[in-house]
Amino acid sequence: MFQNRKEGFALALPAALFIGILFLLPVGILLSEAFQLDGGWSLQGYIDFISKPLNQTVFLRTLKLGFLVAAVSAVIGYASAFCIVNLDPKSRGRIFGMVVLPLMISPVARTYAWIVILGRTGIVNDAIIGLGLSDTPIRILFTETAVFLGLLQLFLPLMIISLVSSMENLPRDAISAARVLGANWLQVFTKIILPLTKEGLVMGGTLVFTGSLTAYITPAILGGAKVLMLETLLYQKVSVSNDYVSASIIATILIAMCFGTNLLLKRIATARE
Amino acid sequence: MTEKWTSRLILGLTLIFLIGPFLIIIIAGLSAGQSLAFPPDGISLKWYLKVFEIESFRDSFILSMALAIFGTLIALALGVPAAYALNRYEIPYAETIKTIVAAPIIVPGIIVGLALLRYLVLPIGLTVTLALFFAHTALVLPYAVRVVSSSMTNLRSDMEEAAVLLGCTRLSAFFKVVLPNIKGGVLAAFILGFVTSFNQVPVSLFLSGPGVRTLPIDMLAYMEITYDPSVAALSALLAFLSVGIVFLAEKFLGFSRYV
Repeated sequence: MFQNRKEGFALALPAALFIGILFLLPVGILLSEAFQLDGGWSLQGYIDFISKPLNQTVFLRTLKLGFLVAAVSAVIGYASAFCIVNLDPKSRGRIFGMVVLPLMISPVARTYAWIVILGRTGIVNDAIIGLGLSDTPIRILFTETAVFLGLLQLFLPLMIISLVSSMENLPRDAISAARVLGANWLQVFTKIILPLTKEGLVMGGTLVFTGSLTAYITPAILGGAKVLMLETLLYQKVSVSNDYVSASIIATILIAMCFGTNLLLKRIATARE
Repeated sequence: MTEKWTSRLILGLTLIFLIGPFLIIIIAGLSAGQSLAFPPDGISLKWYLKVFEIESFRDSFILSMALAIFGTLIALALGVPAAYALNRYEIPYAETIKTIVAAPIIVPGIIVGLALLRYLVLPIGLTVTLALFFAHTALVLPYAVRVVSSSMTNLRSDMEEAAVLLGCTRLSAFFKVVLPNIKGGVLAAFILGFVTSFNQVPVSLFLSGPGVRTLPIDMLAYMEITYDPSVAALSALLAFLSVGIVFLAEKFLGFSRYV
């Protein structure tokens, strides 16, 4: 540790100033605009916003999809992560690499694939008609199911990565001991695995949940105007109706949800048993 | 024995869900027909070649490349000193500085784009390109600080102190002792920043103007007017590009150690 405080401060200052002035300041002004109406401070904008049924639907849908994606990715994540940590080191590295791989690829490309799979003439509809389950294609694209699948594929790797790294130090002997003593897998999970991997679950959950709340491309491509989420609603407010007040209200809600989730889940992770 | 097969089944299904869509995109781009379909109507490379002839894709590819390269370089120029200071000095307001620098990870990108458009581009007359550049730099900066910091914590500080005692200035000690030891971390930060910036969408949504569009935004716009396989082909090419970069980085650097 060097003692020259001024020198250290001067080295760190440019980065903080850059983000403070070019990033946080404009965002701060934007958020404050949501509380201003007719020149004074007021919450009226929020009350008007929340009282509209469409806005309520979009808000609740965003929350619902966020929860669902986080919950389902936790279930798949635990199963896959547990299998991954029990592999031999060589195939473990290979499989882990394949899980991480999608994160490096453009979300536009990742989402576009679902059009080919879920569209009217897509693979799923071909299969449904081929099997005689329906005579006409069913609509899957532009439904909540499509958005859910797209988000799950986008964020599942983050959950698996978080869980794998928290399972690294899981005591193998404790699990086999519990099994030998007659515990079933559910008991092993709730009594041993869950308490020891809580931190990874919380971290993965935060990433997946906030990621789903703030995803734009997936609801835009797979949901369209039929399945609006907060991000696509915000975009529509600005580009279609020039409604900047609603836009900054949505922005405030999104940021509050992201920070809220971060704080809440961090609390849970550090809370004592 | 059954446990082994259950494990294989779970991993197999997960990987099909995660990677299957890309294989479909790659194949759909190989179509000889006019519209996007799977299985494709015949096989040809024409859509993969057509991508290079679409002028707007060429322009937006160059813009996205420039943003990713220069944005990340500036982010490193700001982030390496900050990471160094946060690791090696006891500085006032260290926690505040850490929080500020990490903020771009938490704030949703679409809000940043809108805020820059409304308060920097419209009133001050800042060009959209410059605003994009600022936004992408700010977005990459937290990753730069984090990755470089973590490669610095493993480096003991007595080497620099020894260099200073032996007559180096603090600055030359940094370049002669610290930098050579963290260059892997800096390179890893560059690659992570490059990929993050290149694939970024929400930040750039509102920051586009006549002739100024990043590649992913251009692809979104193109998808709205046509339904031909060229976007599938382009998506596949971009996927190969990023996977290739990361693969090389892993091979020569052990990229995953740093991230």
